[in-house]
Amino acid sequence: MKVYVIDNGGQWTHREWRVLRYIGADAEIVANTTPIEELSDADALVLSGGAPRVGLQDKLGKCDEYLKYMDVPILGICAGHQFMARFFGGEAAPAKVPEYGKVEIEVVEEDVLFRGLPRKMIVWESHNDEVTRLPSNFILLASSPNCKVQAMRHESRPLFGLQFHPEVEHTQYGKEIFQNFLEEAKK
Amino acid sequence: MFDAAAFVKEAVEEIKEKVKGKAIIAVSGGVDSSVAAKIGSMALGKNLVAVYVDTGLMRKGESEFVRNLYEKMDLKFVPVDAKEEFLAALKGVSDPEEKRKIIGEKFIRIFERVAKEEEAEYLIQGTIAPDWIESGGGLRDTIKSHHNVGGLPEEMHLKIVEPLRNLYKDEVRQVARYLGLEVAERQPFPGPGLAVRIIGEIDEKKIEVVREACAIVEEEIEKAWKDGIIEKPWQYFAVLLPVRSVGVRGDVRAYGYTIAIRSVDSIDAMTASYSKLPHELLERMATRITNEIKEVNRVVYDISNKPPATIEWE
Repeated sequence: MKVYVIDNGGQWTHREWRVLRYIGADAEIVANTTPIEELSDADALVLSGGAPRVGLQDKLGKCDEYLKYMDVPILGICAGHQFMARFFGGEAAPAKVPEYGKVEIEVVEEDVLFRGLPRKMIVWESHNDEVTRLPSNFILLASSPNCKVQAMRHESRPLFGLQFHPEVEHTQYGKEIFQNFLEEAKK
Repeated sequence: MFDAAAFVKEAVEEIKEKVKGKAIIAVSGGVDSSVAAKIGSMALGKNLVAVYVDTGLMRKGESEFVRNLYEKMDLKFVPVDAKEEFLAALKGVSDPEEKRKIIGEKFIRIFERVAKEEEAEYLIQGTIAPDWIESGGGLRDTIKSHHNVGGLPEEMHLKIVEPLRNLYKDEVRQVARYLGLEVAERQPFPGPGLAVRIIGEIDEKKIEVVREACAIVEEEIEKAWKDGIIEKPWQYFAVLLPVRSVGVRGDVRAYGYTIAIRSVDSIDAMTASYSKLPHELLERMATRITNEIKEVNRVVYDISNKPPATIEWE
């Protein structure tokens, strides 16, 4: 299975690549300016995180094109998640309470990503911005005390967003979340 | 999962293919450079020159340890005593990024000098994934300049080969165990050495203080680990803070420095949580540090996770 990790400049882009590789995917990190034609063999995409505010801009490389024209499952993480929300008409802004390190989230809707996982879990965060309004065609999947939109998905397309970082070792069920995401890509 | 045997085979092939003639490698006694050197020696034998720079910023007993380690490998070992050179270059410098850059630059100049003498055109480095990720470049914000990446001067006259650049530390350790290297379980030590464990300007006195404090922390933690009291933390050391405070020693007012103890758990340094060490152990370290090092009269324990803090303080 071919998964491209779209590099938006996050500190942990390389970890996404590593976890994907460990669970058996053929993962490759590419610049976020990669032309869409070069991703034609993709079975899934991961949009990585990035520096503060990059998820709040109107352009994030070619992420808008990927979201618009590609029909494979796409997982946006942190800045990738914020950009996804804004692209579909939601809002993202600097967080009132940014989160760094250990946070507990509560799953609201198991859906695909949290299938078979506990309702509460420890995740690790590192964000200055957050999604402040869910797009109207998205469903809320998980929240933390200081950040409502920790996880979301599109109501019909296989598009998912996570504010926390499933790729780092300290997140409790990170690998399982990626596995669930790849299950979706196998369909 | 990661396959150490397959990795070594590929890495040896890669070096054989890329390196024409002689190469030098910078070694520190850490697990990364030891693995890179071992793989390099398997590919190049005596055409690999291992350069160890004693910056004067090393841990207690480090230079002897390194000499022992490399004398066992099939390569040419060249130790360089550069203590005075480094101290002079760092005089008056207190900004952490500037410290790292100066040290990186000095390292490279010394390697260039040795490479010229040895007529090597290649530099093999034990750079691993978190090094270049944290060093920024392109879209990434620079968290720290790692001395073997971000501190690298633009005009390098050596061609760089980095066989470990896609590996994380736990994978490098797997390779080290596979290769039978005694350094496999050693804790990471920053390239710039004790310079980044002294906040602010460094001098010989402060280096001595922090070196002793680090040795006490290492001794006590490794003892507790061997006694089965704690799991081995990922990294554990002392930091000398520029904060001075009032104390009392034998009915006499003292005004001394503060040491921060840092100990974290991690598998790859990308995230880390502070170690939940027993209070008895913390107390023993604090007592020893304040008794054995007269310049220090206060010890604090750092309970920050990464993020938001980093593992080292600078």
